[in-house]
Amino acid sequence: MRTGVFFCQVDEQWKIDIDAIAKYTLNLPEVESVQDLGILPKIDLDKLSDNIISNNLERIVVAGDLPGFFKPVFTKAMARAGGNAKEVRLASFQEHGAKNGHTLDRAKAIVACASFGVPFSLAAVPGGNPVNHATLVIGAGIAGIQASLEIANAGKQVYLVEQSGTIGGHMAMFDKTFPTLDCAACILTPKMVDVGQHEMINLMTLSKVVSVNGKPGAYRVKIKHKARRVDIDSCVACGLCVDACPVKVKSEFDAGISIRKAIYIPFPQAVPNAYLVDEANCRYVLSEGQKCAVCERKCPKDCIILDEKDSSSDIEVGNIIIATGYDLLDVSQINQYGYGKFPNVLTSLEFERLTNASGSTGGKIVCKTKQYNRKIKQDEWVFTPEGMPPRNVAIIHCVGSRNKNYNAYCSRVCCMYSLKFAHLIKEKIPNVNVYEFYIDMRAFGKGYEEFAERIKAEGTHVIRGHSADVSMDGEQMKVRGEDILNDKLVEFEVDMVVLAVGLVPSPGTEALTRMLGISRDKDGWLSELDYNGNPTDTDKGGIYVAGMCQAPKDIPDTVAQASAVAAGVLGSLTNERGIGSMSSLSLSEIEEKAKSVHTL
Amino acid sequence: MAIRVNPGYIDVLDKFGAEDVQLCYQCGDCSTVCSHADDAFKFPRKSMRQLQMGLEEKLETSLEPWLCYYCGQCSEQCPREADPGETMMSLRRWLISRYDITGIASQFFNSRTKEIITVLLVAILTGVYLTFYGISGGSIHVYDGEGAFLPSSFIHAFDLTVGGIMFLFLWLGALRMWYFSMVKGISIPVPWWLYFKKLYEIPFHFVTQKRYAECENNGTSKLYMPWLVHFGLASGYSIMIVLIMVFIVPLQAGPEIRWSLHIFGYLATIGLLTGCIYFVRQRILKTKHVQFKKTHSTDWMFVILLIIITISGIVQHILHRTGYLEAANITYILHMMVVVPWLLRMPFTKWSHLVYRPMAMYFAEIQREAIARQQKLVNPLSITLK
Repeated sequence: MRTGVFFCQVDEQWKIDIDAIAKYTLNLPEVESVQDLGILPKIDLDKLSDNIISNNLERIVVAGDLPGFFKPVFTKAMARAGGNAKEVRLASFQEHGAKNGHTLDRAKAIVACASFGVPFSLAAVPGGNPVNHATLVIGAGIAGIQASLEIANAGKQVYLVEQSGTIGGHMAMFDKTFPTLDCAACILTPKMVDVGQHEMINLMTLSKVVSVNGKPGAYRVKIKHKARRVDIDSCVACGLCVDACPVKVKSEFDAGISIRKAIYIPFPQAVPNAYLVDEANCRYVLSEGQKCAVCERKCPKDCIILDEKDSSSDIEVGNIIIATGYDLLDVSQINQYGYGKFPNVLTSLEFERLTNASGSTGGKIVCKTKQYNRKIKQDEWVFTPEGMPPRNVAIIHCVGSRNKNYNAYCSRVCCMYSLKFAHLIKEKIPNVNVYEFYIDMRAFGKGYEEFAERIKAEGTHVIRGHSADVSMDGEQMKVRGEDILNDKLVEFEVDMVVLAVGLVPSPGTEALTRMLGISRDKDGWLSELDYNGNPTDTDKGGIYVAGMCQAPKDIPDTVAQASAVAAGVLGSLTNERGIGSMSSLSLSEIEEKAKSVHTL
Repeated sequence: MAIRVNPGYIDVLDKFGAEDVQLCYQCGDCSTVCSHADDAFKFPRKSMRQLQMGLEEKLETSLEPWLCYYCGQCSEQCPREADPGETMMSLRRWLISRYDITGIASQFFNSRTKEIITVLLVAILTGVYLTFYGISGGSIHVYDGEGAFLPSSFIHAFDLTVGGIMFLFLWLGALRMWYFSMVKGISIPVPWWLYFKKLYEIPFHFVTQKRYAECENNGTSKLYMPWLVHFGLASGYSIMIVLIMVFIVPLQAGPEIRWSLHIFGYLATIGLLTGCIYFVRQRILKTKHVQFKKTHSTDWMFVILLIIITISGIVQHILHRTGYLEAANITYILHMMVVVPWLLRMPFTKWSHLVYRPMAMYFAEIQREAIARQQKLVNPLSITLK
């Protein structure tokens, strides 16, 4: 088939050597003409169709970063020239991940496949390595839990590695899920218990992946286990050690709004349901065995081993699933909201713990009260169940999201959880005024728009206009904003401000990607192979992404992606093709494959 | 009232410096942080929106650009880097070109070359005219009194003429501003006596620039005191203009220094010099204050001319007092060659805010009270969202 290749670019930032690809393309069989039309060309339909007729082209390949942009013109020209409009083939560098000089060969392969009329994904199938049937899941949030359960339920071995003392991740901290207002714990805790009891899941908490070697299908992973200093099997969670422990620190699980001891259990439903010792704060550990050890003496089961040492283990797995999740943006750097300066300005996670029935106020939404702390001889603002409920609450969307100074991207879940907060406040406090300051309401999912409408109908003042100013006037907090739809500048006296803080990848993501040799996008989220076609695979064979670590997404999407990953992993175990890395495929291999598909 | 939309308006404003307006996504952060925005005049967000929509006729009648003093908080805050502060600045430039009936202003703002050529042309014309006058009537060896090269009585008349032309254009502009904002731009009745009631606003704002002091950025460096420097600069050239327009004859007399008069000249010179050095430093360093990051060519022209004027004035003064009369005469001509274009280009450049700003405060106060009266009539029980 006589083929004409046209290069047209959309993005001038797309740094790829078109000349080199064009030279390569000229040598391909059946390619008659190659033209580089440049960046955002204005294509003359008549000239193009004349070109097609004069070169007698039967197939057109449109190559570029986003060739779909130009497809209509080429289709029209082809039709006008009397050719088969279906023979306009796209060679998209963006879709198949040819971004820079390192992926020049892949770009060539993409054009070659298109010129043969073969879809790239059919020709470029990495494979060949036999696959170990064990799977490593890094991160035990809802994504990691779901993926582990899916794989384990299919009868395959899973190693689930979690950095903290319990599995559950952020979802365990939540009160309700949007838009159904289901209790988050009621969905999550049964799954957590399943993970804890599953015979095919080897759960490793307080553990960290320190090195990964090997090739797709046979990774050798070294995992470091931090000493828990409590024997999981014999601990019955009686809590006598906690009463005895003299050290008080802020609870990470409660987003810092309550106090825990140095020996603690993150929350009552934790899995494994056993206490652990916080090395960074334990008096015994800090004094290297000189002081304290009260808990060890108090323990009736003798399960506390304060001298326990860190250990490590080596495992071999075939596939690795990354589900490391996210973290909140450090909001104290955005000073206009007064976070850290005014007591009753909360982040979304802090509010989530405040309103949660297992939180420090038993689910009562109250303002902080001033208490004298004898130890540091200063007044402190703390949440107590006796605190006054707020009469006016402001919820500010897009704090650090969609903001070029912080995160340029949308964090995707904030609009919905903010609406959920408004509902929870309205539900728990009578006659409360809730002001929601939003820029654009992104209620994108099933039932979300209806949920937003419902919240508006409940009497929440939903104000289109972003507030950038929280100030303190005497004892009274004030929020200034522009009510754009009402054409007014507004200033509300409020008792509590909840900031819908943007999301960032969790802190260890960069180190992990370096260890695994996979790439991240410019915002730090993990890169998938192809956002549309292969949203769970990475460049490297046998390594998958699930959940928030890839990009912000809500719980339904996270669970769906986790299950999808499990399907990919299980597929690699049962098909006999083996797995390999896309990046290790050579140009000639793809070419050969494309030709063989072509000749069939 | 139907409003004609001008889709190309945003490109027009691009030439005046508003380059990033398209980026704005209407969050309202800028209006929130602005210390001058209130219920009657909500900006900059609204102006940004009107600009995006091409509502040229609406913005033409708007006073809001004049209420902004460009503290830069909005631009620092802007999540889209759409630079609302610079947009307001560009709107002021555009408004100056709208108020100006001659069309010179818009030429100056859009073409640096045209401005430079005009300034050079006026400078050469002035130089040639003054040299011919000097040679024909007097001697270059005499500075003052009988047979002087440039007699101070002649300079007085010359100054008044140049100043008169300048003020004529300025007040023509102010008149158009009144027409746009108070006739075309307001749909509610404005009682005539409000114009008298609020008249004090003009001298008050002219002298104090009070609203500029209100919007200083807190927490920035101690050297950052725009209001004080601006006040020094503005009083500097106000005093200078009074001196050369009214007291030029005694000012130029004799080699001895008349402290009762010259002291004002010295003070004004200090004000001008400090102002110039401060602004040049900020603009070259492009300090973290956003308003110095984008400098329009007309801004540079203003500062450069002012520096030449100040230095040549100082040199001429020293030469005259120390007895180098020939050199003093030549420097004087050079000095005048810069002063004349500097003064004449004023009504067509940013400097005209000297008149437009106090006028805008005055009109804004009138509008505010008119709106309040109207609201009382329409809606005696005002209901707010709260």
